Amino acid sequence: MGEVLVITSGKGGVGKTTSTANIGTGLAMLGKQVVMVDTDIGLRNLDVVLGLENRIVYDIVDVVRGNCRLKQALIKDKRFENMFLLPAAQTKDKTSVTEEHMKALAEQLKAEFDYVIIDCPAGIEHGFKNAIAGADHAIVVTTPEVSAVRDADRIIGLLEASGLESPKLIINRIRTKMVQAGDMMAVDDMMEILAVDLLGIVPDDDTIVISTNRGEPAVTDEDSKAGQAYRNITRRIIGEEVPLMSLEEKQGFLDKLKTLFGSK
Amino acid sequence: MTEAIIKADEAGENTILVQKSLRSGQTVEFPGNVVILGDVNPGAEIIAGGHIVVMGALRGVVHAGALGDETATITAFQLEPTQLRIATHITRSPDGTDAPDIIHPEIAMIRNGVVVIEKYVVPK
Ligand SMILES: Nc1ncnc2c1ncn2[C@@H]1O[C@H](COP(=O)(O)OP(=O)(O)O)[C@@H](O)[C@H]1O
Ligand SMILES: [Mg+2]
Repeated sequence: MGEVLVITSGKGGVGKTTSTANIGTGLAMLGKQVVMVDTDIGLRNLDVVLGLENRIVYDIVDVVRGNCRLKQALIKDKRFENMFLLPAAQTKDKTSVTEEHMKALAEQLKAEFDYVIIDCPAGIEHGFKNAIAGADHAIVVTTPEVSAVRDADRIIGLLEASGLESPKLIINRIRTKMVQAGDMMAVDDMMEILAVDLLGIVPDDDTIVISTNRGEPAVTDEDSKAGQAYRNITRRIIGEEVPLMSLEEKQGFLDKLKTLFGSK
Repeated sequence: MTEAIIKADEAGENTILVQKSLRSGQTVEFPGNVVILGDVNPGAEIIAGGHIVVMGALRGVVHAGALGDETATITAFQLEPTQLRIATHITRSPDGTDAPDIIHPEIAMIRNGVVVIEKYVVPK
């Protein structure tokens, strides 16, 4: 029996889809059977990030409406035999998917796969409730901005209220220089407010943009710093202890220096 | 001056204990006193008829004496609210200030018609 992980954030554009693609691919690289589910109906793009857009025939709405069997809608990845995508619908009515549908879908998928990774839409409405309905665990993505952290906090509260206890946090798009200059929130300050476990820190990295446009997640790129961060995150997900990357340590150290000199 | 419907002292028998932190979007409304065993994060809100005590960091919006009691107080281990209200008085944290380096409990109350914040000293 597999595990269903939902990747969520509240605020849009912070890296949910990027994280889903990289974590899913990272887990597949570790030999796990993985399926990613795009629940961002109307704004689907996980297929684009994975470079699978041209293979879509059926989508999640077709599955819940019974237009096709689940197996028919699953798209096999180009590189990894053990990785699949269930795409979102681009045009169909999003209200046709309900929480009950999602629970049933999650049950079916986790009987076949080690990891079911659900890419959540922005917001806290219908789409969010659907995305979390069948999840066993939640991963919350934020960027080091006050507004994103505020939304992450809100989401964590809502997750806890729906029984998804102790979600894990990914801090995305850290720019060490800006944090050091005090122009971005420091990791410690974010952790103090959000008070959840840190799953990983991903640097702001051009290789994400390049790989996204190419449809090849950065996690497959040995030379990508963000890719390394996602490789670490996937290993933590399967239960390995992996220390945080050096960009984080340095920053923590400087922070302490700053507090020593009272110039926070 | 508004007239208090419930005085903080009377409401004293009526206290609610919230045993968790309040996250953004979460609110507590109670006609009596409110005690939080945890933090009150930015975007969270407490409205109390009586006193408010936060055994943690208070960073959200709180309103003590919301029914008009000017003797209501707000106490926190770490008082860094977005906004404080007592009865009909409103005060906000100064713009652009960072958290202080030394943290100690503080109390907010109305004195001579204005909200003042002081280091909390145990009443003897
Ligand atoms: N670590 C990163 N470094 C640089 N760009 C990033 C990073 N993470 C995400 N992005 C970019 O930010 C944009 C939004 O990311 P996306 O994953 O689509 O967010 P969401 O799914 O939360 O809306 C995309 O253009 C993506 O390439
Ligand atoms: Mg997205």
